[in-house]
Amino acid sequence: MAANSSTRLLKLALPLVSEHGFTRAALARSVLHLPTPHAEPLSDTAVSALFGRGDLARKTLIRAWLDDGVESMKNAPGVGTSVKDALHARLAYNEPVLAHLPEAFALLAAPESGIPPIDPVPALKHAARIADEACYVSGDQSLRLSWYTKRATLTGIYSAAELHQLTSPQTAHSFLDSLLSTSTTIDSSVEEVKLFSSYIFRSWAGIIRSQGVL
Amino acid sequence: MQPARCLRLARALPRVHRLARCINTQPSDNSSKPGPRTTSFGFRTVPEDEKESLVKNVFDSVASSYDLMNDASSLGVHRLWKDTFVSTLRPGRKGPLRCIDVAGGTGDIALRILDHAREKYADRETTVEVVDINGQMLKEGFRRFKKTMYHNTPQISFHEANAQELPPSQFTDNTYDLYTIAFGIRNCTSIPDALKEAYRVLKPGGTFACLEFSRVNNPLFSLAYDQYSFTMIPLMGTILAGDRASYQYLVESIRKFPPQPEFANMIRDAGFTTGKDVDGGAWTDLWGGIACIHTAVKV
Repeated sequence: MAANSSTRLLKLALPLVSEHGFTRAALARSVLHLPTPHAEPLSDTAVSALFGRGDLARKTLIRAWLDDGVESMKNAPGVGTSVKDALHARLAYNEPVLAHLPEAFALLAAPESGIPPIDPVPALKHAARIADEACYVSGDQSLRLSWYTKRATLTGIYSAAELHQLTSPQTAHSFLDSLLSTSTTIDSSVEEVKLFSSYIFRSWAGIIRSQGVL
Repeated sequence: MQPARCLRLARALPRVHRLARCINTQPSDNSSKPGPRTTSFGFRTVPEDEKESLVKNVFDSVASSYDLMNDASSLGVHRLWKDTFVSTLRPGRKGPLRCIDVAGGTGDIALRILDHAREKYADRETTVEVVDINGQMLKEGFRRFKKTMYHNTPQISFHEANAQELPPSQFTDNTYDLYTIAFGIRNCTSIPDALKEAYRVLKPGGTFACLEFSRVNNPLFSLAYDQYSFTMIPLMGTILAGDRASYQYLVESIRKFPPQPEFANMIRDAGFTTGKDVDGGAWTDLWGGIACIHTAVKV
């Protein structure tokens, strides 16, 4: 985007979230951190003009923060090797603003028109994007059905870990590790069951064929 | 029949009757022609120095019946758009604002701004300076304000000036909190110049807001809208205001106005900061894009 886009101000507002929360005040104060800072925060009218009316402005800020979170998975130092590192980096990204997150997610889930009462789509999209990004940075090569199952599993795991983080920030990382190891165990057991059943199937097919039925 | 009508029009409007010609849907290519710089006047291409007086003629001739015709041609909807426009800006919510309403001759926007600030936020300190290039329209506005409580207060003042070159002595740099222009920027000879002036007079952190007819993107709706505006509006102009040519110009100039993303770019080129280039970002479409609110901030 051009230099005159509101994106620049959104970037400046992100570090202010930990102090001011996902609020219009954080957006208004972004201009205080420009290379040539303003004397006072943006007026209410200006915030509406740039980012949307009322809570729409807050949603714009939350979305920018989520986008930045996905970027952080790519750019965090030492990350880029495994799904696990990427997800840990994303959880770490949550930490400075943890106190404001429940409200932010509540706002995202609140529909604009009032129907349905709670909109689950943003939450699912949020987790799915993170799962997809984790697969991407780890160079995941899976195809067809496993492409979906892998992302679905990671979506579930990340959502659970993030929910856990909201209530118990200290144990979130170990919880994520345990979920990931459980899922790999489940994965391998499923694989083994598949392999075993294919043996059974083939042997039955051989028996039937030897009887001359087919 | 035709010569007789032309004659009547010519009598009523000696300088505008030339517009009564049919629509030329092929906009001519300005760049290929040598000679004076040109601009669009409806679907015609005219020399830049001529547009100002042509537009002035149009508004001189429609001033007295301007509101009636707006009501008739938009079926009253322009009132809703103006209401939405002002309530989006919420003047007075966080303290008084110093506003400039350009091309606001009849005071539609100014009155709404002052009413909104007073009724919603008990704010009697917000001021609006109404600027118009056209004295006739300003007179209408002044007359209208005499009927309100704002007459003879510091809250409202009227100035005759050109939006493209606001006199710097009267409209100093970095002065206003809010610049509004409703259905006016289309008529400027050079839109970038008008935007530059807006940027100049606004304070850092000040808001630019523009309500203007724009592009309808839904093809079906656009078809119906074109039909309506090219047949009904000039016809109503004939019947209600006795002035087909001026209303033909209004309809044509709407079609010549740049579409939303292009206009947003022009706003940014003038130095403003805007939201993202989507409906609900840099602009908000009203009624599928018939009208559109562009907002920007001087950062």
